[in-house]
Amino acid sequence: MWIAIIAAVVVIVLVVLLYNSLVGKKNQVINVFGTIDAMLKKRYDLLPKLITTVKTYMQHERALLEQITEMRAKAVSGGLSDDEKVDLDNKVTKALGGIMVAVENYPDLKANQNFLQLQGTMNEVEEQISAARRAYNAAVTDYNNAVEMFPTNMAASMMGYKLKKVFEISEEQRQDIDTDKLFKA
Amino acid sequence: MKTLSELKHFYQTQLLADLKALELKRRKVLQKRMYVNTVILCIVAAAVFVTIKFGMPPHIIFISIVLSVILAVGAYRFIGKDYIAEFKILIIDRIVRFIDENLTYDRMACIPKSTFMLSQIFKTKPNRYKGDDLVSGKIGQTKICFSELNAEYESGSGKNRSVRTVFKGLFFIGDFNKNFSCRTVVLPDTAEKLFGRIGQKLQSMNLVRDDLIKLDDPEFEKLFVVYGTDQVGARYVLSTSLMKRIVDFKNKTNRDIYLSFIGSMVFVAVSYKRNLFEPRIFQTLLDFGPVREYFEDLQLAIGIVDDLNLNTRIWSKN
Repeated sequence: MWIAIIAAVVVIVLVVLLYNSLVGKKNQVINVFGTIDAMLKKRYDLLPKLITTVKTYMQHERALLEQITEMRAKAVSGGLSDDEKVDLDNKVTKALGGIMVAVENYPDLKANQNFLQLQGTMNEVEEQISAARRAYNAAVTDYNNAVEMFPTNMAASMMGYKLKKVFEISEEQRQDIDTDKLFKA
Repeated sequence: MKTLSELKHFYQTQLLADLKALELKRRKVLQKRMYVNTVILCIVAAAVFVTIKFGMPPHIIFISIVLSVILAVGAYRFIGKDYIAEFKILIIDRIVRFIDENLTYDRMACIPKSTFMLSQIFKTKPNRYKGDDLVSGKIGQTKICFSELNAEYESGSGKNRSVRTVFKGLFFIGDFNKNFSCRTVVLPDTAEKLFGRIGQKLQSMNLVRDDLIKLDDPEFEKLFVVYGTDQVGARYVLSTSLMKRIVDFKNKTNRDIYLSFIGSMVFVAVSYKRNLFEPRIFQTLLDFGPVREYFEDLQLAIGIVDDLNLNTRIWSKN
């Protein structure tokens, strides 16, 4: 009689632990995605300042700068799905990379105090975004492991939890940034 | 950073003269020690003789041995004091300034216990704490400070006394090149090496530490376990390139190393079993070997700035 009760209690405790651990991991993914969002906002806030500072110097990159302004407007307008946000983030990262490379051609700009300070802040924001992406991938990996591995996979299928995608760099980004092509656009 | 050949030149032109003078002092110290040893042997021999001759209890021999050992240790310390001090002032101080003019050396000072505890690397508060050979200054844009430390925890009393080493080795503090407000601690990874996944699960359940941070560099993860207060902040501090640098540094030193990042500073603790920067007593001072060892030990600590790339200041901290 007693054995049955104890066994039942143990099973219930285990189930609760499994359930809670899955929920915790799912929420961690959402949490970190929120941090990415916050970092992206910081970057989008800095972009206008960057564009005004470099516009007067970088005459040849007008088209690229306009592209960035457009992408920023889209990001800030809101109403984007998570996938769209990620996609836009990748595009902006690539474009910003192009600008930073092009700065090498403008020694006056490189010596400008305002620009240097701005570059420092931008580097910081970009690294924080990168850190947030890595943290997101870690959270997703943890969650995916729990969804697929025993014994949590049983609870996961009962709760209807599916695998999530990690942040991937798209094929076109993996190729080196071809600056000539970037600026012809 | 100075090369070995520059050191050799410095040793031959600048240090040798003082080393020769110190060598004479060393011989005198050795002689005095031999003298102390002889006195002790006589005392013990006398005790043995007396005990056998007069049939006294054997405790006398035991007590006399213990007393003489205590006397000997005290005498050794007293005899060697001036010699060690002179050596450090004449030789170690000059090697430090040879490596970099901007550094200062204080042979008696060390990193304070409060700072040691502030690093949060070692959770046990030591009740026996001493250190020496404090070096401080600025390398490029990075302020640094390091010293030798010997922190122990003594528990029990009388027969049950046991002394456990909390940390013995080199303790380094530097200005980090990024601003951050979270806390991240990097410790040598023993559990994961031995137990794999289960080890990692155990690590995540550690109650005295912050949350476990699982990082994306497999070589780094094999060597270290990371605890921190912020998942994103820890990755901001431990960038992909910094993790590689830490792994390279660990492989270079081939010792247990511990790091922590708190308040925009980095703390690095490198374990050593031997004492650093102490002059030899039993072997000649005139060889290049020991000078090279002092230089390499100092260079290792000062080199942390370059090894961790602390002088690259491309973010908003300058």
